[in-house]
Amino acid sequence: MAEPESLRRTFERYARTGDAALRDQLVAAHMGLAAYLARRFANRGQPLEDLVQVASLGLLKAVDGFDPGLGIEFSTYATTTIVGELKRHLRDRGWAVRAPRRMQELYLHLSSVIDELRQQLGRSPTIAEMAAEVQVSEEEVLEALEAGQAYRFASLDAPKPDSGSGEPLVDHLGSEDAELGRVEVRATLEPLLRQLPGRQREIVQLRFFDGLTQTEIARRLAISQMQVSRLLARSVAQLRALAEEPAEGAGD
Amino acid sequence: MTAADEVKLVVPAQPEFLRLARVTAAGLAGRIGFSFDEVEDLRLAIDELCFGLTGPTGRHGTVELRYVIDGGELVVEGEGRFADDIAIVGLSEMSKVILGALVDEHRLGPGPRGPQFRLVKRRHDDAARRSG
Repeated sequence: MAEPESLRRTFERYARTGDAALRDQLVAAHMGLAAYLARRFANRGQPLEDLVQVASLGLLKAVDGFDPGLGIEFSTYATTTIVGELKRHLRDRGWAVRAPRRMQELYLHLSSVIDELRQQLGRSPTIAEMAAEVQVSEEEVLEALEAGQAYRFASLDAPKPDSGSGEPLVDHLGSEDAELGRVEVRATLEPLLRQLPGRQREIVQLRFFDGLTQTEIARRLAISQMQVSRLLARSVAQLRALAEEPAEGAGD
Repeated sequence: MTAADEVKLVVPAQPEFLRLARVTAAGLAGRIGFSFDEVEDLRLAIDELCFGLTGPTGRHGTVELRYVIDGGELVVEGEGRFADDIAIVGLSEMSKVILGALVDEHRLGPGPRGPQFRLVKRRHDDAARRSG
């Protein structure tokens, strides 16, 4: 991608001001690069959609970490960051890639079965119902879900545990939280949420702030429940990583 | 409650082993008729609380997990037994919001032998109808 002078000036202004709108502009201007690099890593057992999201996170980091004063092209800098993010993602999910092919196929089959059962039953199916439908054991269903989902407990980018945020050890979230409190929390977390790709942000909003179930989200967005599940898991891992990042936001 | 309603698991406090915590929870939730929605919620919640217990890179030591089935309710308790002396990573604001949406009750805090968490996930009405 050519880097017109206006982009360079935008980078300089963003580096000076940290203006979120400028950041959005810069990210949008380079999404093509993220998608291109994600495609380079396709066919390695991970859905392209997921790779694009990982690449997008790498792009966000690159935009934050880029120093226009260094005299290198942003695309060069960003490529290194994005490729690093993609490699880490694939490495972290190595066990999933090694999952038996039969389990991967079962996972794909279950994706459509869940949606069919949801339509038939008018609710999310149980594990037993899914197993009966595809004529496998419940354990196999669970194994396939785990193999297919393949998200890892750890964050995408391991932050330092000693960041000293002063987070209280005892944390409760009472069910008595008023709607007002929820709105306030949403506002506080807005900068974090803004860093997610659009579709993920929408799903996070619907599930965690509006209280819709995965089934309801799948119906509303006309996507499979499995996709909702995968995107939610991905979003949670990304939010966790972003929440733990040092304030200066420099890449690695 | 009988002994048969309880499952215990001890795993190294490292991310790759904590996957077992999630698998066990999903297996037990499936047994008591949780829906796919609810099982997925539970798996995310386990991840989030394990993360709060051990931090992102794991700890030196173990996590002891106790799963108790009580009717249509699954209670999961985790306790860290850590040899290192690193400050505990608690729950971020975002984690609190996420957990509040995923499970009926949750808590993370200090225990007599180490940091511990507890979560409660209840089977909801449509699932209760199925098994009735």
